[in-house]
Amino acid sequence: MDINRTPPDPKTQIMDQIRQEAALNNARALITKLNGHCFDKCIPSPGTSLSRKEESCLSSCMEKYMGMWNIVSRVYIAQIQKTTGQTGGEGFEGLGV
Amino acid sequence: MDTSSLSQSNLDLSKLSDYDKRDLQQQIGNEMQKAKIQESIHNLTDICWTKCITGGISSGKMSGKEESCAANCVERFLEANTAVLKHLERMRGEM
Repeated sequence: MDINRTPPDPKTQIMDQIRQEAALNNARALITKLNGHCFDKCIPSPGTSLSRKEESCLSSCMEKYMGMWNIVSRVYIAQIQKTTGQTGGEGFEGLGV
Repeated sequence: MDTSSLSQSNLDLSKLSDYDKRDLQQQIGNEMQKAKIQESIHNLTDICWTKCITGGISSGKMSGKEESCAANCVERFLEANTAVLKHLERMRGEM
């Protein structure tokens, strides 16, 4: 971000900050859940250090969890739009991470 | 996150016009709704992950079976939710 540019109007400034905090909360929620689930899946009995296998399992698990998130998000939003009779609009493009 | 930036920037909300105030309220309302939806997505992902990803993790991609399980999971969960509410409503009527 360019610090030297003139500050945006207060409305934009507030909304920018709110959106930023929302994105952060969203990312935090995802990471917490993802960590919990993937720890369960990949590290059933914790040793003295993470093995290479456990680490690669974690990477795959993360990708998979995000894949799951995207599917759930798509289906859920489609359902909401179906029940509210709303078409298009808003565009929840998912995560801003 | 620097929450100080709002106070630092010397924001004076009282200077906003009535139109801007309404607009701001509307926009914040939208963001709150979006946040609620995202929270539901997190919960649903949690529930459906437990339901659908039962084996070990062999790859980062979801299998076709897992994908359709996830889609069904979301749809049936919402249906179950409506069914529960409907039944509650009936129970209340019988009381």
